[in-house]
Amino acid sequence: MKGTTKYDALVVGSGIGGMESALKLGDMGYKVLVVEKDASVGGKMILLSKVFPTLDCASCISTPKMAATIHHPNIDVLTYAEVDGIRANGDGTYRARITQRPKFIDEAACTGCRQCEMACNVAVPDEFNADLVSRRAAYIAFPQAVPKKAVIDRAGISPCTGACPAGIKAHGYVARVRSGEYEQAFDLVLEATPLVGSLGRACYAPCESECTRGELEGPLPIRRLKRFIADAHYGRGRDGDPEAVAIEQNGKKVAVVGSGPAGLTAALQLARKGYGVTILEAAEQAGGMLRLGIPAYRLPNEVIDHDISNVTALGVEIRTGVRVDDPAGLKDDGFDAVLVATGTHKAVRLRVPGEELDGVRSALTFLADVKLGKDVGLSGKKVLVVGGGNVAIDAARSARRLGAASVDQVSLECCEEMPAHDFEVEEARAEGITLHDGWGIDHFEGDGRLQAAEIKVCTCVFDPDGRFHPEYDETQRDIIACDVVIVAAGMRADTETFGLETNGDHTLVADPGTLQTAVPHIFAAGDVVTGPTMITTAVGQGRRAAFMIDRYLQGQVLDPGLFDEPLPVVDKDTVLARQQVYDRREPLESNAVMRAAPTDFEETEGPMTEDEAFLGAARCLDCGVCSECHACVDVCPADAIKLDDRPVAIEAEVGTVVLATGFNLFPADAKPQYGYGRFKNVITGMQMDRLLAPTRPYNAVLRPSDGKVPDNIAYIMCTGSRDETVDNPLCSKICCMYSVKQNQLIMGALPLADVTVYYIDVRSVGKGYDEFYQQARDMGCNFVKGRVSGITETEEGNLTLRYEDIENGGALAEAEHDLVVLAVGVQPSRGVAELFAGNGDALALDDHYYVGEVDEDLDPGRTNLPGVFVAGAAAGAKDIPDSILHAGAAVAQAAAHLERARVADEAKAKVPS
Amino acid sequence: MSGRRIGVYVCQCGGNIGDYVDVDKVVEEIKGDDDVVIARSAMFTCSDATQQEIVQDAQEQGLDALVVASCSPKLHTVTFRDVAKRAGMNPFQYTQVNVREQCSWTHTDDKTGATEKATRLVRAGINRTRLTEPLEPIVVETTPKSLVVGGGIAGLRAALGLAELGLTVFLVEKEARLGGHVAGYGPMFPNDRKGSDLVATLEEKVRANPAITVFTNAELMAKSGSFGNNQATIAIHDGDKLETIQVDVGSIVVATGFDDYEPAAGEFGYGLDGVVTLPEFKKMVDEAPGLLQYKGRPVKTVAYIYCVGSRQDESLEGAHTYCSRYCCTSAVHTALEAQKLAGDLRQYHLYRDMRTYGKYELLWNASRESGSLYLRVPDDEPPAVEKLSSGGLKVTTRDLLTGEEEIAIPADLVVLVTGMVPRDNAELVSVLKLPVGNDGFYNEIHPKLRPVETIVDGVLICGACQAPKTSSEAVAAGLAAVTQSGAMLKRGYAELDPMVATVYADLCTWCGKCRAACPYDAIEQVELDGRQVAQVVKTACKGCGGCVPVCPEDATDLLGYTDAQIKSMIDGMMEVSCS
Repeated sequence: MKGTTKYDALVVGSGIGGMESALKLGDMGYKVLVVEKDASVGGKMILLSKVFPTLDCASCISTPKMAATIHHPNIDVLTYAEVDGIRANGDGTYRARITQRPKFIDEAACTGCRQCEMACNVAVPDEFNADLVSRRAAYIAFPQAVPKKAVIDRAGISPCTGACPAGIKAHGYVARVRSGEYEQAFDLVLEATPLVGSLGRACYAPCESECTRGELEGPLPIRRLKRFIADAHYGRGRDGDPEAVAIEQNGKKVAVVGSGPAGLTAALQLARKGYGVTILEAAEQAGGMLRLGIPAYRLPNEVIDHDISNVTALGVEIRTGVRVDDPAGLKDDGFDAVLVATGTHKAVRLRVPGEELDGVRSALTFLADVKLGKDVGLSGKKVLVVGGGNVAIDAARSARRLGAASVDQVSLECCEEMPAHDFEVEEARAEGITLHDGWGIDHFEGDGRLQAAEIKVCTCVFDPDGRFHPEYDETQRDIIACDVVIVAAGMRADTETFGLETNGDHTLVADPGTLQTAVPHIFAAGDVVTGPTMITTAVGQGRRAAFMIDRYLQGQVLDPGLFDEPLPVVDKDTVLARQQVYDRREPLESNAVMRAAPTDFEETEGPMTEDEAFLGAARCLDCGVCSECHACVDVCPADAIKLDDRPVAIEAEVGTVVLATGFNLFPADAKPQYGYGRFKNVITGMQMDRLLAPTRPYNAVLRPSDGKVPDNIAYIMCTGSRDETVDNPLCSKICCMYSVKQNQLIMGALPLADVTVYYIDVRSVGKGYDEFYQQARDMGCNFVKGRVSGITETEEGNLTLRYEDIENGGALAEAEHDLVVLAVGVQPSRGVAELFAGNGDALALDDHYYVGEVDEDLDPGRTNLPGVFVAGAAAGAKDIPDSILHAGAAVAQAAAHLERARVADEAKAKVPS
Repeated sequence: MSGRRIGVYVCQCGGNIGDYVDVDKVVEEIKGDDDVVIARSAMFTCSDATQQEIVQDAQEQGLDALVVASCSPKLHTVTFRDVAKRAGMNPFQYTQVNVREQCSWTHTDDKTGATEKATRLVRAGINRTRLTEPLEPIVVETTPKSLVVGGGIAGLRAALGLAELGLTVFLVEKEARLGGHVAGYGPMFPNDRKGSDLVATLEEKVRANPAITVFTNAELMAKSGSFGNNQATIAIHDGDKLETIQVDVGSIVVATGFDDYEPAAGEFGYGLDGVVTLPEFKKMVDEAPGLLQYKGRPVKTVAYIYCVGSRQDESLEGAHTYCSRYCCTSAVHTALEAQKLAGDLRQYHLYRDMRTYGKYELLWNASRESGSLYLRVPDDEPPAVEKLSSGGLKVTTRDLLTGEEEIAIPADLVVLVTGMVPRDNAELVSVLKLPVGNDGFYNEIHPKLRPVETIVDGVLICGACQAPKTSSEAVAAGLAAVTQSGAMLKRGYAELDPMVATVYADLCTWCGKCRAACPYDAIEQVELDGRQVAQVVKTACKGCGGCVPVCPEDATDLLGYTDAQIKSMIDGMMEVSCS
């Protein structure tokens, strides 16, 4: 359904009032569009147990109407859709803007088999069971849902996933770990990048900073979970390379210059698509900064080897020791496209006197030498490291491990401002490194050979514009004796020979969205474009470059908007508001071992145990609801999962509008003296209806705290109704009767249970209703006139009610019950008037925010807007029969409106023009 | 083996059936029966998912007939006929077996027995189905006209609504004037509009609408015809003259309203000077010349006694056990109006449960704020009304809200808050064969599924003839009847159930017994090849089968329930299970 469509009538809402309206209009021959916000038609009635006063099964009455509604030849139904706005055309017709929310399911393909639901391991409160139990992110609303198709509940991207520059589905692999599906978790990360093990160790984990659990006790150990799945995968008897995977080749070749995170990631992605990929690496070993820059105590070489084998398994060839000076020239070697991902391997100099002395060296070459196993001869030497970043810390800690007599570190920034992460600084200190923060180098002294460094106090590192511009207090100086100085003053791209356009800092100029350079077949990604940054950023660039190179080589438009197109990140407050209470779950302590004088390059951080991984993952709050773990994709036999589904805007021209938006139930926690939400055995009437329904969650009436069969149940009538303290002076009409109905059903289901109803007036108003009430009394239900003032909870979870015993002298009394049902009343549904915002005339509501009826006496259901009618409880509290009759009234007038328009149109057509 | 391909579905109905009948066992028992190609159980057979499954099974297995064992055919016959149709079967080769109302719900204490009974019922259904013939619905053109019986507010609004749908309307009112009860009312709750004004507004529109013909002093005398095409005979009294006319209509909307409860002499002092009913009091307030007076005397104190003629003890002869719905709010509203006339008026309300439901609660709040005092009387101790020697009245009661002391209220006026009772319309009931409930009001087919339809085709009910209602609720119901008429008549044709009687002309000797047995005048005598034989008027026949057993020649039969089918069903039920 695309573009603008034309209908005689729009019915908003598909509860009993909406279905009745649509069916009758359809039967009259009008074309009807029904828009329902939930995944199924049926509204609240289908969720009920039985209905008063006939005790018909609610399903039996509802399901035929639901099926008839969607199968009716004159009715189209949009479920999981919202009306955004309705605009008057001025001639009594309306134009509705509707958004079909993505269901993330190909509805035509879905067979409703529930495999996805069974595979999904995200649990959120099940609104269709009044939150008594949980449902999955992939779910079918309820057993009798119409249409019986799955929906995947995606509130948005989870903050962890949204924070990952690499585009790794962090929430997804956490969810997989929770299920013990470590291989699938590994594969999910591998979707994005081959660097599963490397990132599991050396990533700075922006995901954890965004983790919503961080607002509670502390974030999940998301990075370490990744390490866990990598350890599990690589450790699973896979000493050799993974099995080669045969991929159908598309005949095109791509050269990737550089084998760091960006290059390896791009190579993997391109190889998967069938490109012949060759990586050209200048160094002796592949891995880029992972290999050359990160010390083994943080990232062992074997892990890098394993990660790289993920790439080579796809047939990617890595040629090491090959330096490329002219990327464009690779075309002559048969490469259709080239990705330059050479990183930033050139050290920035300090530019102080004495820098040329023997003994002064760069941290980059130092770390590379150490990592490649070369002897750097630090044993017994006094080492001074210059710099305040992570590279400086890595150099200092490496020096410490190589037997240096002492390691000092000078940083211009004072400790709190150092660019290195706090935990790294702390670990360096723990290992016995002496930090001189807030000092700069004045010069190095020595006689050909380095002997000492003179340092001076740095008063300011940056100028007011934030540019690096240190200022010193020349009067405060000190001398540090040293044999070796390792300078970590920064690094830059080495691009001079490439013949490509560069920026002032030597980075390559490439379109930020497409990563294409001015030479069309040359793309650039990673630090060589961005300057030095994090591994994940480079991975993200590698993925983007591969995506764009593929499009380029397929002759498609390079549209940055097509890459990754994520949903918005879900709001943390929304997530935390999903539950009233969260159990406290302690975060996992770091297991990094700090030794005062380490002598080897053993990893400081240990692996996670399976229990730790499970407990760590189980703390996840499932912020985005769907975790994007792809478990559903794996199991769906119909290939119907469509995670890239997006909202679709629909416009409809309609001749009349019937608003059947129903009502909301009073939120019982707004009456705090009754303890709903705090006392587990205080439930709402809707929850009791679910406990009694044929599709009941526990297959029995049990109380929530301990699953005991209740034997002394209290009902508190007028909860949220006839109550000025909650701003609702109105009577809700339905609660007396649904309570009386439940009383009868309980006495059937639990013959031994006592039921006591605390009431003000029993309003059994309607055909057969008073007789029905009398029947409940005759069955033994105890009716006590008196309003309950408060409830307290006993140790066993029972509830003590305080009330005025009006009929027995009016004294205050107390009674203990083991389950309390709050007969919550109704409230107007929200947002109905807003549908008409922007029109000259607003939709008038009544004093209590129900849709107003301008002539209730003669035209019930007619609103102030011509051609707009209200059906059922949207106009005020109504039971089911009254809603159905009211819908009938609305339909009669809607049809009359259409008939008038038809007659007018015919008259107009007859006038010769 | 007949070569039929039958699909059998046995429903759990959640636990409604499954808790008492071992549904899987039933399926197990019958799945080897002749011609049963597929047999399954389902949680909710009526759910869309199972419907789709049936359609799929039918297409994959080439089913040509269907049996669903679930609830009463009243609920879902139409549902599953549609399923059969969607599945490419003839909808009339579907059989619904009732294993809920007639099995699980009646044998909740005997699962074994219920399971065996269900098996026998299903087997009977299969046997019947095996002998089904494809039938086509009887298509009849419908008459785009409606007859409204009753010119009260519901009838007036219905007439107007029908005309607004493009239908031609005849409105029949027994009285000389239109408007019913409401025409006599002053300000009404909750919008304080005068009943007389409301009726005048409607009457003006009705009279001005060329599609509506109004007959006052008129009655429906006779009705014949069949679905969508009825002939109604209307008698119009003009003085001593009586004119009869006939109109053809597609639907008949009955809106004959209610009567006020008339208390018996002595009931709560009724008959004593100063004891009046609510309608009498309302009139008094409406017509009060500035001050509230009774027989020329100023009224200073009023006592209201609620639930007079409503919520009566069921042990009483002819008790009105129902609640009359409107009277609490009406009394409260009248008290507010009375208070406007005399600010110092003292008003005492002796009620049982105050049923000012929904938004009407605000009126009760306003009434209490205006000074009315409310006393809750015990259900089993009605207040006593006495005439004092001084001329005033005394009402004695106990108030449950204030310590149950006995209280004596002196009152100038006692208002008996009387409810609604069904109007005596025996003739109309007989003409239209209207179903009357235990409470005396007319009965709809189902309060939720078909709330304005009666079991008589094309005869709809609305307003207070169906149950006590407020004026605006009666209007809404009137419009719902308009909608139902529109749904029946707007298309111009209707499809009727073809399961009607048939006559084997070669066997028929025309004895006339079948015509005598037919309650619907659906059998006529015709000449065929020089012989007199019976013939069924298909559109009038309801398929009741009354003509079948009376035929001495076995020349009549009922399509869908032929003698052969009935016999096979009996055989099916008698069949002993192998296990």
